[in-house]
Amino acid sequence: MNSPPIEWVTYQLKELFINATRQGPVPRHVGFVMDGNRRFAKKNHIETAEGHNMGFDALAKAGFTIAVCYKSGVEAVTVYAFSIENFKRPLHEVNALMEIAKFKLNQICQHGDLLDRFGVKLRVLGQLDLVREDVREVIDEAIDITKDNNKCVLNICFPYTSRNEITTAVRSIVNLSTTPNCPPSPSFSDSSTTSTASSKTALAGLSDFESITEQTLTEHMFTSDSPPLDLLIRTSGVRRLSDFLLWQCHQDTEIVFVDCLWPQFDIWHFLPILTDWAIKQKKKDKTAAAMRRQEEGLGQRIPVR
Amino acid sequence: MPSATKHRPPSPLSTSGRTSSAQLHPLKPALRKPQPRKRQPKSPEVLERERLVLSRLPDTTVPPKRKPVRQFLRLVWHRFIYLLIHAVFIIYLKLRWGYNAIVSKVFALLYYHHRTPELIQKDVQPLKEKGKFPGHISVVLDYERDDLDKLIDEVAEIACWCAAAEIKTLSVYERTGILKNYISTSHRTIADHLRSYFGRDRPTVRVHAPHSRSFANGDIPGDGQDSEIDLEVMFLSEEDGRESIVDLTKTLCDMAQRGKIGAEDVSTELIDAELKDNVMGEPDLLILFSPNVTLKGYPPWQIRLTEIFNVTDNEGVGYQVFLRALHSFAKTEFKFGR
Repeated sequence: MNSPPIEWVTYQLKELFINATRQGPVPRHVGFVMDGNRRFAKKNHIETAEGHNMGFDALAKAGFTIAVCYKSGVEAVTVYAFSIENFKRPLHEVNALMEIAKFKLNQICQHGDLLDRFGVKLRVLGQLDLVREDVREVIDEAIDITKDNNKCVLNICFPYTSRNEITTAVRSIVNLSTTPNCPPSPSFSDSSTTSTASSKTALAGLSDFESITEQTLTEHMFTSDSPPLDLLIRTSGVRRLSDFLLWQCHQDTEIVFVDCLWPQFDIWHFLPILTDWAIKQKKKDKTAAAMRRQEEGLGQRIPVR
Repeated sequence: MPSATKHRPPSPLSTSGRTSSAQLHPLKPALRKPQPRKRQPKSPEVLERERLVLSRLPDTTVPPKRKPVRQFLRLVWHRFIYLLIHAVFIIYLKLRWGYNAIVSKVFALLYYHHRTPELIQKDVQPLKEKGKFPGHISVVLDYERDDLDKLIDEVAEIACWCAAAEIKTLSVYERTGILKNYISTSHRTIADHLRSYFGRDRPTVRVHAPHSRSFANGDIPGDGQDSEIDLEVMFLSEEDGRESIVDLTKTLCDMAQRGKIGAEDVSTELIDAELKDNVMGEPDLLILFSPNVTLKGYPPWQIRLTEIFNVTDNEGVGYQVFLRALHSFAKTEFKFGR
């Protein structure tokens, strides 16, 4: 399987299929739960940290899932790298995971071009103050390097749980609602830029807490600047969300549970999911259009009567 | 509808992968130009590696503009492959659907409850011995227009299976919330169904919904509240999801403005406790009777660790789906936090 001609053929096939996938509807935002690294390690008698490493490797490999996503037109990818609950694991494993994260992010800093290639902006979502100082520095640097990219987004949920995210959103709204409306002195608002103006309207709106809606909360989630989540994939056959993107995925998101472990998950697992999604989406669009036509038809008929 | 506008029309002419080769191989220009951003100094090994990689990258001096005819042909070719893939995939889906329909039929024939609680108990006994059995089951049902009777019948059937399997809590999620208007009707129907399963000595049942505090527990003898209830049925709808969290946020804002709490008092535990009181706790198992997994607005806070089960290509409520869900639940090892 490793001879050059076969590699060339599989590469061409991959490119072809990815380009073909682009022709149809493509999810705008895909989430991944990278599950099964530990089990993969156990199965193959690798040390656990090493197993995680391979998971990260699979992630970092440009030819892999994320690249496939961006190549086929996905705008945002969110991956669950580390849960706050993971801090409960044995200390040496947590430390090993941190080291790996640091190493990989360092790699990104040095070869930032890989992310530049697709114009990927890196974002790290989660409770960053739980992370060690040195790791946080590397994270900041990686974010800084990719901050000018604007084509697509890679969200890495680092010490993350969705409940924590929702709590943070609620807390910040409560915080905003209690801050007295200091800024609206008219002379100040004239000179202010658009960004401060928007934050001010948010402030002004929130002092009246009756105006809080789902939208307000959505805007306060970590993922606020990504498009709505269309597809969530969890590997390793575990049929649970495990505190990942609960707020984002509980409405119309298609959730797919795949039986293979994350290190084994490749394009041949991924493309069928995309195709399946596209077919469902086309069907959904069709019924929506039919409904709309029906409603329009009704609307037209009523005035005739 | 957002779903219709969600997708940009594919514009492969402008953005297809090969249009600009400079975009494809940014390593070269990036290396030649002095870097405007601050980067870590590259070590000799890194430089060596980059030299190796660069020698293998194709030349970037190729003019980025391609011939339009060629591009058009590529587009047609990709379009063709796309249609081909979809055609093949749809055939595959049809075959899979047929296969799964047969499997479901066979299961339905092999495992039928015959309205006998003893049979259901026999079915779930090995699962209970294995040690993992849900105490709180949740189901998602669909309300089709003008078919309320069917919906309530489905609720009643599932309630009977739960009662026979000795599952204490059943929460029924239905997006529109129409069931909440028919709590007493549902209670009567469930009681009727239970009678047909268990005979005169049927289990007691209580039906209620969050927020609407009407407890229709007509069949509990006398003082009601203290006596043990065998099955608790709860109706949920979309407003118990996000809206309940929004309402909680408003309440917290109100309290904060009156100085009763500070923003730092808002914790996961507080929200959890409030939502548990006002809506419900976490279900152990969520059964979807739809062919694919979409949650349709199910309360987000509560599904954190819930096992989500559906049968591929299955459409509609069936005892075999219920049983397969219990089987799948018993098999998975429960790990907290992945």
